[in-house]
Amino acid sequence: MKIAVLVKILPDDQDIQVNGDRTLDFSRAKSTVSTYDLNAIEAAAQLAAKADAQLVAVTCGPKSINDSKTRKNILSRGVDELYMLADDGLELADAYQTGRILAAMVQKIGDVDLVIAGDGSADLYAQQVDIQTAEALGWPAINGGTALDTDGTTVTVTRMLETEREVIRMPLPAVVSVAPEVALPRIAGMKDVLAAGKKPVVEFTAEELGGIAAPTIETVEILAPVPTPRKKQIFDAADEGAIDAFVAALREVM
Amino acid sequence: MDFTKTDEQELMLENLREFCDRWVTEERIQDWYDKRRVDDEVCKAYLEAGFGYMFIPEEYGGIPSDAQTLAMVVEELMRTTGATMPFMSYGLSMYDLATFGTPEQVAKGMEAYNETGQQCFSLALSEPGAGSDNQSMTATVHWDDENGTCVLNGTKTMVSHAETAPYIMFIGKDEDPSHDNKSYSMFLVPKDTPGITMAPLHKIGQTSTNFDEVYFDNVVVPQSDLLGEKGKGFKQLMHNFEIERIMLSAHSLGLAQAALEEAARYAAQRVTFGQKLFKHQLIAEKLTDMEIKCQNMRNMLYKTAWEFDNGIPVRLDSALCKRYLSTTATEVASDAMQIIGGLGYTTESKIGRIWIDARGDSFAGGTEEIMVHIAGREIVKKYASDLL
Repeated sequence: MKIAVLVKILPDDQDIQVNGDRTLDFSRAKSTVSTYDLNAIEAAAQLAAKADAQLVAVTCGPKSINDSKTRKNILSRGVDELYMLADDGLELADAYQTGRILAAMVQKIGDVDLVIAGDGSADLYAQQVDIQTAEALGWPAINGGTALDTDGTTVTVTRMLETEREVIRMPLPAVVSVAPEVALPRIAGMKDVLAAGKKPVVEFTAEELGGIAAPTIETVEILAPVPTPRKKQIFDAADEGAIDAFVAALREVM
Repeated sequence: MDFTKTDEQELMLENLREFCDRWVTEERIQDWYDKRRVDDEVCKAYLEAGFGYMFIPEEYGGIPSDAQTLAMVVEELMRTTGATMPFMSYGLSMYDLATFGTPEQVAKGMEAYNETGQQCFSLALSEPGAGSDNQSMTATVHWDDENGTCVLNGTKTMVSHAETAPYIMFIGKDEDPSHDNKSYSMFLVPKDTPGITMAPLHKIGQTSTNFDEVYFDNVVVPQSDLLGEKGKGFKQLMHNFEIERIMLSAHSLGLAQAALEEAARYAAQRVTFGQKLFKHQLIAEKLTDMEIKCQNMRNMLYKTAWEFDNGIPVRLDSALCKRYLSTTATEVASDAMQIIGGLGYTTESKIGRIWIDARGDSFAGGTEEIMVHIAGREIVKKYASDLL
């Protein structure tokens, strides 16, 4: 059995600076693995270990994602192989373009039975790529999984709804995205970190994957929110009715 | 010169910070300092993440490592926690055991280490009358060849991990306690062997590690518990002193860096006389000198570690490193306390703990004065060997 986990590599949000005109400066931001995808990798690694399956990670994005440390980071987490398309044509790729490319990669890898994705990306959080990838593959998809199991021909997904727990079984091949609580990402051991550099990384070109699809949306601009200035309103608890005024002020803004 | 960390080192340090976030909360640190031990589950998590396997030979499940990475890991562990994490040294102790133990003894030690994550043995070396002056030791080993046993006697003091480690590494003089007897033997003895008793000693700092006097009263052990060669015990013990000094220096540096960062953050917020603390020149000067010291400490430590990794003798540099880093870390911690003011002298601020812990490094693993004793001779050898 072969399981593929979809991973987004993006600039570390801790290092993104906001310019005076509210545009974002990524120049000092190093690449990192999208937070929710760490949970997906862990869930996939645990499932692969249980089902004695091979686990491959699949990622695409601009050239900047092809960073040796990030590759090793992914491969130190129970992943056997990494497949990558690093092409600046994917700089501002929308979910449709990303889903098409990821589906083409999954097909190119071959024999993939199950695709696992994270809850959403840490930057855009569109929660679209899992569904778009499944659509392009023509496979069934389910999202919000909090537990996974497989017998090799079906996948069983548990989802927590508002008042009940839903258990769904789907035939393979299929795409499942998982909620962050599905698994706590491991702290990769030193041995795994040292071994990661020796694991295979396969780099595709856009041509090999049939090219990048035309975008379906146009990004007009990405701006940081206008910061709200502090009101600097001071209530002195010694004053009559100050607490009520304080509560009223809080209510007003909430 | 290349100061770049490898991908692997960067990932290990990221993973270490994640380990600290998950396992080492301030509340837990205070609990460990109160009860003189770190919880098994945390020691085990550190071991399972691989950090505790550094330097142990691969055949025993260890991870081949280098002094530079070990220094970075120990430094980062102390910097992140602002405390002494005793498990920083457990792997190196296993490395000691692996250096001169039989495969059976090493396997026994590894089994205990893997089970709890705690250091598998304590080192019973110092005595009330023999600290830095090891030759004054009076503990004895009587060889009873007829019964195939040895009888151990003596009082050992300042034994770290005595309460948590299942074995004790004992060193004593063969047969004769007199000063000039240079025949020492070492043994790996189960802590619960009849005749062994202990009483706690209370350090003022680094109390996350238990510390005891240990009494050996006619303790009978099989001769097969001998570690290494009969009569060569002390030489064996000296074997890994240099890497131990590098590790302890990294402990000093991590504490100093934690103090510096704590003070800088305080100075960036605290307002006195109408302006932020750091804008006062006296505070800015302190911060400047603290930063210079931390950078100097790091440069010296990493260079010594690099020399060690490249097979360059570090007898002199590891002694200089140990002396400079332990004294300077206390200076940096003291200045940090001064910046934080009266609050820094309360148990509400962690700067007091850092200061007390840094001070302890002036004794641990060889005093500052012993480092001078080593370095002084080496310096003359280095520059004036023709005159000796």
